[in-house]
Amino acid sequence: MNGVVLMIVAGVVLIASNLQQKTQVILMPDINGQVGQAEVISDGGSQVLSEAGQMTLVKGRSATPSEVRVLNQKTVESMFSAALAVEPLPPEKFLLYFLPDSDQLTQESLELIPQVIASIDERKSSDVGIYGHTDRLGSEAYNLTLSIQRTLAVQAILANQGVRPDDMETASHGEGNPLIDTPDGVAEPRNRRVEVIVR
Amino acid sequence: MGKLVCFVLLMVLMLPGYSRAEGEIGSIKTLKGKVFIVRGGTTLPAEEGAAVFQEDLLKTGYNGALGVILKDDTTLSLGPGSELSLKEYVFEPRENRFSVILRILKGTFVYMSGVIGKLAPDSIRLETPDSTIAVRGTRLMIKVDN
Repeated sequence: MNGVVLMIVAGVVLIASNLQQKTQVILMPDINGQVGQAEVISDGGSQVLSEAGQMTLVKGRSATPSEVRVLNQKTVESMFSAALAVEPLPPEKFLLYFLPDSDQLTQESLELIPQVIASIDERKSSDVGIYGHTDRLGSEAYNLTLSIQRTLAVQAILANQGVRPDDMETASHGEGNPLIDTPDGVAEPRNRRVEVIVR
Repeated sequence: MGKLVCFVLLMVLMLPGYSRAEGEIGSIKTLKGKVFIVRGGTTLPAEEGAAVFQEDLLKTGYNGALGVILKDDTTLSLGPGSELSLKEYVFEPRENRFSVILRILKGTFVYMSGVIGKLAPDSIRLETPDSTIAVRGTRLMIKVDN
């Protein structure tokens, strides 16, 4: 009789602990394998996560976050399989370069266009950013116009390949936001660019 | 006259593209099964491509899953039976104003920080019923039982 009562009590305790409020946080690498950092803070203390797979568990706000445990990839992937299956691809950025004083793409950059289109298709993207720039050779006003022409040129190329105008957002920065800082009046091919960001 | 037209055209072309709704902070990228947005007390079925706004509550049914990208490229992925509130979101790089406060209420999540995670990581707070999570440019998986 006593044995039976003990078993029932044990069962109830187990079930209650599965229903307990708790938070688990696991640090993971990004798509490039890079790992950041996180700190989990409760009223009972805090725990830093700094390596891939590290997990901490907090059972209620007044509890102290647990010592770090490392979970293996398979365990994590199965715990979060549904969320992972719908995780959006991160945006992809393309740098397209131009001939000097021109809105014509270099041959190399022209050859990147199919990859840009493939990226848009893969993401079913309706959010493509096109941002034109120049180097600092020439006046600011001149370069503003040139950067706009470059933006429009890339927009036209993509529209020609079937990308809808509504799905493209444009901005032109003239000499501003250079990739490489130079003094005024200096030519710099790496700044003569349009950045395309496919979201 | 020609010069004036050119000038006006230039000004118009400099305007940022306005393909987005006012106040939109991101959009739904992927979804599966039953998923909802609770906005201003109304529950709406979520659709791929739909905009999300500050204070939206994202909710998935028992077999639902949802992927969202915010303006700074933060991505949020929800598994089934999950709820997340976009409590606060500010992304104004030109004014140096950033804020990301997400209330993670229950379920399973994958969080990937975006540009704000690099420019102003201290402005990001992920809140669960048990804890606050501070991040530095990172990808996290979070499970909340409530």
